[in-house]
Amino acid sequence: MAEYATKKLAQMLITVLGVITLVFFTLRLIPGDAASAMAGDTLSGEALQRLREQMGLDEPLFAQYFGFLLDIATLNLGETITTRVPIAELILRAMPITLTIALGTIVLSVLISIPLGTLAAYMAHKGKRWLDNALTGTAMVVDLMPSFWTALVLLLIFSLALGWFPASGQLNWSNPGGVALRLALPIIVLSLSQVAMLARITRTAVLEVLNEDYVRTARSLGWSELRVLFRHALKNAALPVATIVGLSFGNLLGGTVIVEFIFTIPGLGNLLIAGINSRDYQLVQTLIVLYALIFVVINFATDLVYKALDPRVQF
Amino acid sequence: MADITLAPPTTTRKTGFKDFFAAIGRHRGLRHPKIRLALLILVPILVLTALAPVLPIQKPLETNLRAMMQVPSIEHPFGTDKMGRDILSRTLAGVQISLVVGFSVAMIALMSGMVLGTLAGFYGGMIDRAVMTVVDIFLAFPSLLLAIGLVSVMGTGLVPVILAISLADVPRFIRLQRSQVLSLRSRAFIDAARTINAPQSWLMTRHIVPNTIAPMLVAGSIAAANAILIEASLSFLGLGIMPPQPSLGNIVRDGQTYLEQAWWISTLPGVVILLIAVGLHFLSDGVRELLDPRSRQ
Repeated sequence: MAEYATKKLAQMLITVLGVITLVFFTLRLIPGDAASAMAGDTLSGEALQRLREQMGLDEPLFAQYFGFLLDIATLNLGETITTRVPIAELILRAMPITLTIALGTIVLSVLISIPLGTLAAYMAHKGKRWLDNALTGTAMVVDLMPSFWTALVLLLIFSLALGWFPASGQLNWSNPGGVALRLALPIIVLSLSQVAMLARITRTAVLEVLNEDYVRTARSLGWSELRVLFRHALKNAALPVATIVGLSFGNLLGGTVIVEFIFTIPGLGNLLIAGINSRDYQLVQTLIVLYALIFVVINFATDLVYKALDPRVQF
Repeated sequence: MADITLAPPTTTRKTGFKDFFAAIGRHRGLRHPKIRLALLILVPILVLTALAPVLPIQKPLETNLRAMMQVPSIEHPFGTDKMGRDILSRTLAGVQISLVVGFSVAMIALMSGMVLGTLAGFYGGMIDRAVMTVVDIFLAFPSLLLAIGLVSVMGTGLVPVILAISLADVPRFIRLQRSQVLSLRSRAFIDAARTINAPQSWLMTRHIVPNTIAPMLVAGSIAAANAILIEASLSFLGLGIMPPQPSLGNIVRDGQTYLEQAWWISTLPGVVILLIAVGLHFLSDGVRELLDPRSRQ
């Protein structure tokens, strides 16, 4: 296990280095350079030169590259260009919000999708195809709904028409109830597609296990259906579901950008869009690297969990 | 002698359009329920989009100050927006963009994935390692975020959007193609071809690539659906196709401000995106089942 973890960790570090390199060189592909793209027509001559120096663009490319690596390693992320706020501070304020949405979505969708998927598998196993078909068909359509559209429809119904959830307002951590109400709709929106996907995976996994010999043995011992289902079937089906939860985290991060934008939640996604709109490439490159880092670390954890849960996995 | 009645000779007649369509209708593919459902969804959308310029509706950019924020009606089936523009007409123009994006991304990703994946899988060694290292780096980015990052560098508009989404998609295709090539490479018919001294280029183009096309096409139609969703998301965030040029994403964005007064602006174009995505998924499901002998009944 330790050997496996070390190997995966080494792989992860190479990927992270690659991610940083890719982001760095992609930004240098901007026609002109980042400073003139950022300034647009507002700066010229000496002022533009000062901005270049401030961004370190006057140094040789490789000095810039290693400087960038060093800055990330030491968390020296610099300031935003327009408002001169330390980027690290912005990220520290925004990240808990985005992670709360992402983790809330995972918890909610696992709680809903596992019973749902198991039910569908059980019905399919018992030959009640219509319920299984209805569930899988609905899941497919829900999975394909564009999240910005689902968000607007739910906003229309639950905030504007029924007034159950606030559509805007401050996020104040000292008032957890208010935060929960404010984040409820975004989490529900993201959970819909997550549930649709996880329920389908659970269904397939449970259906496969239900045909195994040990399930038949358990039945022949006279155990109740529920006990067979939960003690034997679901336990063995948990592995593929856990893997997909990890793998889908990337999509989930993309989804948080959209719901944060719609519900005006000051998380990483809104920070990213603000950065792009103000052409603050320093901020944008840091955030893109951060998103990739979160995703890579989650994948690393998923690999380890997978290995820990299934002793058959060999690499 | 057994009484055999022969069917009377049918009167020969010229084969007309009716027979042509009947023959198409009898094709194995079109009798597949999922493909039928997919065509039932996609064909009307395609026909409407193609006919949009000659339909008796306002032009997508035409404003009409006497018909602002109109509820859907016979005259404006999807209603109108703040400037009295016809939402149906704008939606159809947006579908056109979506289809261009979906098709281009699928083609670019499919082609480059096939070339790079085949080379990596067939030659192995250094080429394989180099290609797969880059692939792994690209796959470390969530795809919407990679597209957002690339668009922020390349700028907005149709071409940057297509390139950004394609770049985010290519690694997946390389991976799929490589794994197919790896499993084909050790098959007996490849060994057979090798024993008669077939050159490597012949092995690749005549034996390996043709056997990988079907799964790649299935992946291609899913990629097209995803590309349409990502383009819509980018345009919704204001990073894709920019107004006044309509795209499904930016129409929904325009409507967001007037959600309470004019629900139709945002919701109806969204339904169209959903329909296209569902249609493409049924199509790929159907094609996969049709081509996969194991799932044939």
